Amino acid sequence: MTVLENILLAGLVICAAAAPLCKRLLATVIVYLAFSVILAVLWSILQSPDLAITEAAVGTGISGILFFLTLKKIRALKGTQDE
Amino acid sequence: MSDGKEKSRWRRFAEWVNGDSVTRDPTTQYVMDRRPARAHAPQELHEERERLRLKKFLGLYPLAASFLCLTLIAILFATVLCIPPFGQPGNPTNNEVSRHYLEYTEEETGATNAVTGMILSYRGFDTLGESCVLFLAVSSVMMLLQRDGNNTDEQTLLRLRREDAIERTHPDNILRKSAKLLSPFILLFSLYVLFNGETSPGGGFSGGAVLGGGLILYSVAYGPEQLSRLLTRSLYDGVRITGLMAYALTYGIYIFAGANGITVEMEWMMTVIDLAVGLVVACTIYGFYTMFQRGKL
Repeated sequence: MTVLENILLAGLVICAAAAPLCKRLLATVIVYLAFSVILAVLWSILQSPDLAITEAAVGTGISGILFFLTLKKIRALKGTQDE
Repeated sequence: MSDGKEKSRWRRFAEWVNGDSVTRDPTTQYVMDRRPARAHAPQELHEERERLRLKKFLGLYPLAASFLCLTLIAILFATVLCIPPFGQPGNPTNNEVSRHYLEYTEEETGATNAVTGMILSYRGFDTLGESCVLFLAVSSVMMLLQRDGNNTDEQTLLRLRREDAIERTHPDNILRKSAKLLSPFILLFSLYVLFNGETSPGGGFSGGAVLGGGLILYSVAYGPEQLSRLLTRSLYDGVRITGLMAYALTYGIYIFAGANGITVEMEWMMTVIDLAVGLVVACTIYGFYTMFQRGKL
């Protein structure tokens, strides 16, 4: 279990460092969502399933949707520009 | 103070809030007309100054940013090194408060799940405040982003209609099919988490978040019109307000009964509070999505 925990913690650090370094905004958001997924798994390993459910729903679902909508509004997504 | 004057003042205030009429005070208008035009610096001088400022800013910005980042990282690492190791029995978090919660939650609050008992009963006022914050947040988002006749011009409407038409004629098949497959399960799971919150992990906040996500996915899968026909504006507002009122009322009874030693059926109340929180959270999330996406429910 500790091996898995360490791998996940390393992934957490890598995601956190990679998110602001991405060139494209879409990639930044996706890396941030990956961070949330890893965090959700970690919460369930740390025996707090309540937090894991909330993190999975809010961190990956809701905030992802809001980020994508914002990107669409500021025309930073490919293929959504009109004309 | 006549009634007519009060009404006109109110109407003027409402107009000012809506930004409908900009009536200037005649004296202000006179002073503004008399003011000499501002002397403009020559264009080249202005550009030169702007360029210098930008250069200075771009030189300083990375330095300041990296300095701030490194300081923050150093502070956080120092804090983490001072934290006692995880899961030790002698940690300051393992005091009599958590022991009390773990031992007496079931008989004091009627919730088998200690976390739910803590969130909804011991710290119910916290949760009530959070629910109010969510309620107010979605209300203000509605005020700012809702589209109606006053703030939408013909062009925006045309663009929206065109986007809708494109979406209808070229649907994203992968997204639509997978959403169609997943959304019933997500909605079912959210109901399970909501209703089973006091005996198993989950509860109001997580169940509400999952329910909101499921509603968004449903709206993606079957088209926004389908859901807005099912969940109209009046129903949405009704659910939102009923959720908050039910929470306040039930928690008030709960506190009153607890303080006066009246025995009530607590398990039932926990379920009601759980459901109320879940409905408020789900409405908030769905409202954010639909306001950002289309500006109407």
